[in-house]
Amino acid sequence: MNASRSTPTNVWLWLFQRVSAVLLVVILGVHLWLANFGQASSSLRAVLGVVLVGLALFHGLNGVRTVIFDFNIGAQGRKFTTMLLLLLGVVSLLFGMYGLWPLIVGG
Amino acid sequence: MTRRIARLFGRGGDLNPRNMRLGVWAWLIQRISGLVLVVFVVAHVVAISQASLVTKGPLFTILDGLRNPFWYVDRTALAIDLLMLGIIAFHGMNGIRIVLFDTGIGVGLRSHKVIFWTLIAIAVVASGLVIYYGLPMLGGT
Repeated sequence: MNASRSTPTNVWLWLFQRVSAVLLVVILGVHLWLANFGQASSSLRAVLGVVLVGLALFHGLNGVRTVIFDFNIGAQGRKFTTMLLLLLGVVSLLFGMYGLWPLIVGG
Repeated sequence: MTRRIARLFGRGGDLNPRNMRLGVWAWLIQRISGLVLVVFVVAHVVAISQASLVTKGPLFTILDGLRNPFWYVDRTALAIDLLMLGIIAFHGMNGIRIVLFDTGIGVGLRSHKVIFWTLIAIAVVASGLVIYYGLPMLGGT
């Protein structure tokens, strides 16, 4: 409809995939550093944990979406795939927050 | 479906190893490693969440619980972690190449190859550092 005026969802997803990729490389480096040398306040670790889980979930599931979309699955299949992955993402995010909860509330 | 697969992998097919050049290998490995990493990340998060919910106390106690008793006695777990480290390093550095390419850096065929191998070298060095400093803590001493 107004596709010519607004940026299509796929372009946003492409952009976020790149942005999350770069952020993940940096944050994973910090994550590995902390896992080995472990010198950070628990609040910083909580923030890093939440950001890492969120970014990794988006990047991973959007990557799976890209791979699936490369097989010709039709408009219906694409819609179903997106919805399924979105649901999976939300559930996983909640589970991740549940796991990180002791860190988030402080410990 | 079978015909499409045959066309892809058969004589003259794009995914026939005989026809695959460096860029196609990088593309294919990036995809497969990505799918493997999704499974790994889920397993990683579930394992640590489980531990942190079962074991009460600060994070260090929780991670100590993960570190000793059964987990790293089994060398396969350690092997999987090391394999994942390599896969993450490759996926990350090859991903940087893709981002650079998309932003117009290193688009030429020659510089593209140089960038690829430079990033792979960085991946190897970074993995080496993590193994050197991290292995004793993983219990692999």
